[in-house]
Amino acid sequence: MSPILVACISLVAMLALIWFGMHVAVVLAVVSFAGVWLIKGDPGIAANLLAQASSDAIASHIFGVVPLFVLTGFLVAHADIGKDAFEVANQLLRRLRGGLGIATVASNAVFAAITGVSIASAAVFTRVAVPEMLRFGYHPKFAVGVVAGSSVLGMLIPPSLLMILYGFLANQSVGDLFTAGIVPGLVLVLAYSLGIVVMSFVWPRSVYAGGALQPVDAMELMPVGLLLRKLVPSVLMIVLVLGGLYAGYFTATEAGAVGAALALVIALLRGKINPRTLWSVLTETGHVTVSVSFLIICATIYTRMLAMSGMPQFLVESMTHAGLGATAFLMLYVLIVIALGMVVDSSSILLIVLPLMLPLAEQFGMNLIWFGVVTVVAVEIGLLTPPFGLSVYVIKSTLQDQSVSLGDIFRGTAPFTLMMLAVLLLLIFFPSISLVLLK
Amino acid sequence: MASPPLPPARDSYRQPMPWKFHRVVQALNALGTLWIVLLMVLINTDVLGRNLFDAPVRGVTELVSLSIVGIVFLQLADTLHSGRITRADVVLQGLEQRRPRLAALLHAAFHLVGAVLMATILWAAWDPLWESIRMREYVGAIGDFTAPAWPVRLVMLVGLAATLATFLLLVWADLRRFAALGRGGLA
Repeated sequence: MSPILVACISLVAMLALIWFGMHVAVVLAVVSFAGVWLIKGDPGIAANLLAQASSDAIASHIFGVVPLFVLTGFLVAHADIGKDAFEVANQLLRRLRGGLGIATVASNAVFAAITGVSIASAAVFTRVAVPEMLRFGYHPKFAVGVVAGSSVLGMLIPPSLLMILYGFLANQSVGDLFTAGIVPGLVLVLAYSLGIVVMSFVWPRSVYAGGALQPVDAMELMPVGLLLRKLVPSVLMIVLVLGGLYAGYFTATEAGAVGAALALVIALLRGKINPRTLWSVLTETGHVTVSVSFLIICATIYTRMLAMSGMPQFLVESMTHAGLGATAFLMLYVLIVIALGMVVDSSSILLIVLPLMLPLAEQFGMNLIWFGVVTVVAVEIGLLTPPFGLSVYVIKSTLQDQSVSLGDIFRGTAPFTLMMLAVLLLLIFFPSISLVLLK
Repeated sequence: MASPPLPPARDSYRQPMPWKFHRVVQALNALGTLWIVLLMVLINTDVLGRNLFDAPVRGVTELVSLSIVGIVFLQLADTLHSGRITRADVVLQGLEQRRPRLAALLHAAFHLVGAVLMATILWAAWDPLWESIRMREYVGAIGDFTAPAWPVRLVMLVGLAATLATFLLLVWADLRRFAALGRGGLA
């Protein structure tokens, strides 16, 4: 069997096994093991690759960032920092049509600048923003839709775990990737806010349960002093973590450690955490870390298998033979990523797709920083689409309200998924949006 | 589309394991958890020391890269036992509701593959451990900071062995569920 054929069969087998529910990391390792065995004709080589990957793949300073970012996310969620940001935004934007929705988007953006993972934000804002929106007569579908839609900001606005993972796979500077995510993140915030305002004027039934705006005068107002005090922790975290990172005081990993320590101190000072919740937060952190890291380990041998088979070069040649241009490739790529996003989670997608696609992107002379931003946005769209939409499941399990079904959440999210698609196209056709802050 | 309240045993995760093995797995996990805290403290000490007192802690970079390997393998078995290793459950969830016996069998097959994978890595990582001890493998730079590499390799092997055992016990639990469903428990 030719190596190319082996690689093709492995890819098909891989997708089938993943679809039927085998653990993604196990699939990557086992299928690549068989692939290397077939290509080299020696199981020993394949086994040694596995052992080497286990001890070396994640043995790097940069992967220390995984537990630290996840821990920061969970601690910040416990410390009510997201809640405070929402309350402040809520009061400032209360006079606007769809103001609570925009407040959710805005406070999610602030939250995203503190944490590098998006699982925390979906849970936090389901608890904080959804009840408030329901109280003021917003449609339940709209309320959960806004929360799901804006939870993806977490991975786009720095710091971001996905960007770090991409930077590692594509050998690009994490700092540049972070910088490149800022403007697209703000564009998405703007698109969501405009979208909400337009929806509330043109199609009020989709926003308000009764089809009309409710008076907001019933809202209790906080004095300005309290308003400012509520902002202190968010500002402090953003200035110290992002500021320290950009000013060159420390690396991404160290930013994660500083952020986690700071979030812990804030949570302790506010009495929001006790030894037992701290331990469960830490355990949860460990589990998320392991599932991401184990994937990285198993994806290493998959990358090696692909390289041995010559599959990436083969794809490059057939693409040029077929006369496919850069744009066609990019569209195809985005479709594949979104389709995968309907079945598996974001880090799995990056690890499955990038080893195949990066050589192609390089071949087409694409800017790999911009390609990273496009990838992350496409991956995040998958978090919102059925049947797997991870954010939607998090919201469903946090909501504890049987009257709002998974289908309702997916339907409520649909307008935001469309807005995200529009932003993605914008990013694809105007690379300067992502690259404007660089150099 | 709302999922009904779950019946007690649709998969084998989060259940007590024979010989109280889940205690072992949880203990390893707790060690990993403490290690995460240590990592956070260590890095913060270095950042503060370096930027405020011009006194960096030596070897933090090397220790972080060793630590992450140690943490992951200490917690691998418990993550598996908690059902938190990433997988796509679209098909499996449907089967668990409509064809629970088939789902149990599929679970067993997947866990068996996982066990074989762990056994393979364990077998291939055995020699490198002894080699590492024999040649006094280290990380870091001589004269600045060095740390031996074998303790982490040992931790890795312990974690792999615990995960192998967990996979096998999950297969056993899957098969028992399969058998129980066949004896008329097929509701």
